[in-house]
Amino acid sequence: MPQPSAAGMAERVGRATVRGLDELGFAAVLLAQSLYWLAAGRRQRQPVRIAAVFTQAREIGIDALPILTILTFTIGVMLAIQGIYSLKAFGAESRVTTGIALSVVREFSSLITGILVAGRSGSALAARLGTMKINQEIDALTVMGINPVRYLVAPPLVAMVVMVPALTMWAHIVSLFAAGLYASTQLELSFDAYLTQIFEVLRLADLAHGLAKATIFSVLITIIGVVNGAMVTGGAEGVGRMTTRSVVHAISAIVITDMIFAFAVAR
Amino acid sequence: MTAAPITIEVANLTAAFGERVVLNGVNLTVAEGEILVIMGGSGSGKSTLLNHLLGLLRPRQGVVKLLGLDINQARPAEMRDLRRKMGVAFQGGALFSSLSVADNIMLPLREHTDLDPNTIEIMARLKLEVVDLAGFGDLMPAELSGGMTKRAALARAIVMDPKLLFCDEPSAGLDPVVSAAIDDLILRLRDAMRMTIVVVTHDLDSAFKIADRICVLDHGEIIALGTKDEIRHSGNQRVQNLLNRRSVDVILDPDAYLRRLFGEG
Repeated sequence: MPQPSAAGMAERVGRATVRGLDELGFAAVLLAQSLYWLAAGRRQRQPVRIAAVFTQAREIGIDALPILTILTFTIGVMLAIQGIYSLKAFGAESRVTTGIALSVVREFSSLITGILVAGRSGSALAARLGTMKINQEIDALTVMGINPVRYLVAPPLVAMVVMVPALTMWAHIVSLFAAGLYASTQLELSFDAYLTQIFEVLRLADLAHGLAKATIFSVLITIIGVVNGAMVTGGAEGVGRMTTRSVVHAISAIVITDMIFAFAVAR
Repeated sequence: MTAAPITIEVANLTAAFGERVVLNGVNLTVAEGEILVIMGGSGSGKSTLLNHLLGLLRPRQGVVKLLGLDINQARPAEMRDLRRKMGVAFQGGALFSSLSVADNIMLPLREHTDLDPNTIEIMARLKLEVVDLAGFGDLMPAELSGGMTKRAALARAIVMDPKLLFCDEPSAGLDPVVSAAIDDLILRLRDAMRMTIVVVTHDLDSAFKIADRICVLDHGEIIALGTKDEIRHSGNQRVQNLLNRRSVDVILDPDAYLRRLFGEG
């Protein structure tokens, strides 16, 4: 057994760094290859199948609607409760709509949608690819001359990039509606007046801010799911481990990217 | 046999995972229409050799040529054309679990040809008939028994009428009757379609039933390569051990043994 020492520690840190860079490189290659197949697949007589994209879009988007609706409705009500509570300190409850509108559209919708999709679909992607890998299904695709990136990665990538912003839009509508319902019962504010205020506060830039983040999240979720799925070794246990890892990594990446994006754009 | 053109050519193939050398200078040729069986015990390198033949692994050294094309130098387009001329039946079947058996078999046709859907369906049924799975096309892979999975995988492997067919352990884990049926099927495919077939197996009975030539691998090297009779009468002790199911005599080195026990390896 090697003794724990400064050198041993440095070696472990070094190896972990190399592994991390390796994984980042792999992720970049996967993204580049997906874009290549999307652009050039038809010319190579290996098109990305639109039917596969639709199947994925249904699983990622439509099937997530019920749970997303429940979550964002709750978030909307929660924001209204907390907003009114904290503004009461200044006697400024009536300004709560500004806080609600901006925090929902710029922050919460894309964040909640991202986290939900990472948990539902990013993990499913990792599990599916991992299982396919240990069953040699990926090898089978390769020897058939069907590029696995084109067949397995590009369709969910497209579906994700379309569906996550679309779900985010839906999240805007539901949580603003829910917050309005609560606020109009608590304040001297009709629902119509609430809506008018919301539209006065919101600018196109706010909407773009949230949707741009949602788009970045969608790419992160897909690539992290695929990378973890493709790195599965060691049977069913390995699939479970990497699936969990993909969710943890995707949510971490989303939260950190969110902060960096806000820091870079909003100041 | 020597007059037939060479379909598979392996020259000085060396493969290693890290520092562990798995294949050491393997040379091998397979003629058109020939059935070559690659035999060897566990860890002999036969799966690694197969993966190199399929282009799933890149060799550290050496050349693998299929149908005259060096698969590690080929351009992507050339490789894709080659892939359409080869079929592979994997050990576990590797059927796509989200597709039905028929969809699995139709997948290569759908991806590689412009045939109309009706023709594709007929061709898939035709291949299902060939492997005695007629009527099972609508089942999902999870609903198949072990023998049916292997036969479905074989049907998918031959759906493009390949010139080259690779089978990984086609009869492993099957009862003797089903296993014999698969052997007969492989022979029929060769005779009917003039395929060149490479079979990796450790099943002796099956190997001697179907092989034109047998290649015995041990510790990453070919220790015997020849016709069934040549292999049967091989003077090589390790070949005879394999044929007669004798365990390998362990050469005792007390010092090395103690070193291993104390982890000073």
